[in-house]
Amino acid sequence: MSGRISLGRVLESRELLYTLLLLSVILPLLHPIGIPIEISVRTRDVYNYVEKLKPGCHVYIEVYYEVAARGELEPNLIALTKHLFDKGCRIVYGSLSAFGVVAFSLFRASAADLFADKVYGRDYVYLGYIAGGEAATASLAKSIKGTISVDNYGNRLEDLPLMKEVDKATDFDLVVIVSSGTDVFAYYVRQWHTPYGVPLLFVALSVIGPSIEPFVGAKQAIGMLVGQRAAAEYEVLVGRLGLGMASMDAQSTSHMLILAFIVIGNVVYWSKRLSSRRGGAR
Amino acid sequence: MSLVVRKYVPQIIISAIIVATVAFYYLYISKEVAGAFSTADKALSDWAVIITSFALIVGGIDILRFHVLRIKREGLAQAPFSTVTIALLITMVVFGVIGWYYSYADPKAGITITTQPQFRWLYTNVYAPSDAAVYSILVFYIASASYRAFRVRNPMALLLLITAVIIMFGNTTIGGLIWPGFLSLRDWIMTVPNTAAFRPITIGAGLGTIVLGLRLLTWREVSWMGRRE
Repeated sequence: MSGRISLGRVLESRELLYTLLLLSVILPLLHPIGIPIEISVRTRDVYNYVEKLKPGCHVYIEVYYEVAARGELEPNLIALTKHLFDKGCRIVYGSLSAFGVVAFSLFRASAADLFADKVYGRDYVYLGYIAGGEAATASLAKSIKGTISVDNYGNRLEDLPLMKEVDKATDFDLVVIVSSGTDVFAYYVRQWHTPYGVPLLFVALSVIGPSIEPFVGAKQAIGMLVGQRAAAEYEVLVGRLGLGMASMDAQSTSHMLILAFIVIGNVVYWSKRLSSRRGGAR
Repeated sequence: MSLVVRKYVPQIIISAIIVATVAFYYLYISKEVAGAFSTADKALSDWAVIITSFALIVGGIDILRFHVLRIKREGLAQAPFSTVTIALLITMVVFGVIGWYYSYADPKAGITITTQPQFRWLYTNVYAPSDAAVYSILVFYIASASYRAFRVRNPMALLLLITAVIIMFGNTTIGGLIWPGFLSLRDWIMTVPNTAAFRPITIGAGLGTIVLGLRLLTWREVSWMGRRE
């Protein structure tokens, strides 16, 4: 009896769980297991939508995440950017958050190979930080050049060839919102999709996914890529394996460990409960 | 006079902006009027962008003021933390301003606020790892919380646990090896029961926004002026 309680105490200790959790994350990263991944219908739908875009199409990508969310969102952004560039799309990046500027800078460095043969100003442009939240979103939908006059690097927008082709929401064939927050998805639904009917694609953290699901259900967005798993699936689809796929083994082992502890926790809980009932009956 | 300036003038401005914004969106009289409305609507949005940019400066000054007062009030106990905050705030602003200066003085150098070497070094090597580390610590709290929370005390708790297990299996590659159906079951949970639960929240927030607008229009909402009803 005392042996069972002491085992229960050991299993209930946070230190054991934390140590095993740390190992379950680090070890698969150092020694990948290579579990094959199945592509979900939702990720394939997004891929098929992008696949149908015509060469020369214009895409706006909102980069709205801090470095803490980089691990989950950047692999999605890299895989999507590769797919869009492969399709011959031209991309305008922008950030409604100040930390988006550094996030873009780090993303640009991580995916240097994708930008190697691309010409800044012709194939892609980064507008930089645009203050104003939802008001700025509304203003950009009406006219980008009317809202800001220079890009992140001080170039006049009027001088950039790509910005001569696009200015307002309806000039874009797709708008991708890569965000670690919830509000910015609603900004684009309200200010870009509802008035102008621009197709939206959401890229979100796993914890944010459930809260933006109603927009996808209501067809206000063409789809969503949520978390590390979607990133790994998209990497497989576009044929550029990166951090998304590399992290999947760690995600599998850590989730399995948590599940094992949930089972153990319930076994200990019920054994205590049943033994106390038996003791009471006596 | 002071009451007029402090109370009535701001409220008249707010009411006028609400009426104008609603009119710009919903009314269509003629192409010329719609064009004029669109220009005025764009101007209003641009004002908001400009005001928000200045709000960032106010925010920086407020952090400085808050920590200086805190050091004065709480003395040595708080001084180390507030001093570090103030020092880093000033350091980042100084390097940012240097980058901003070079972006105009020598555009060919390609130096901007975020690409200024010291600014970038501090951000990449101090802020980024700290931010990522704080976020990563969540994994321990979530693991610990789920271990304790998912106790099957009653049938509802069992239902919650089953849902959580399906979502966890669906989010991992190992789940597909155990049973391929986990992935489609996860998608069904997210698109049907989850959406049903979240939709009323979204609709409720929308209705709340409309009610707030109406309260502002009818001068019943005064908290934004720093006053109680």
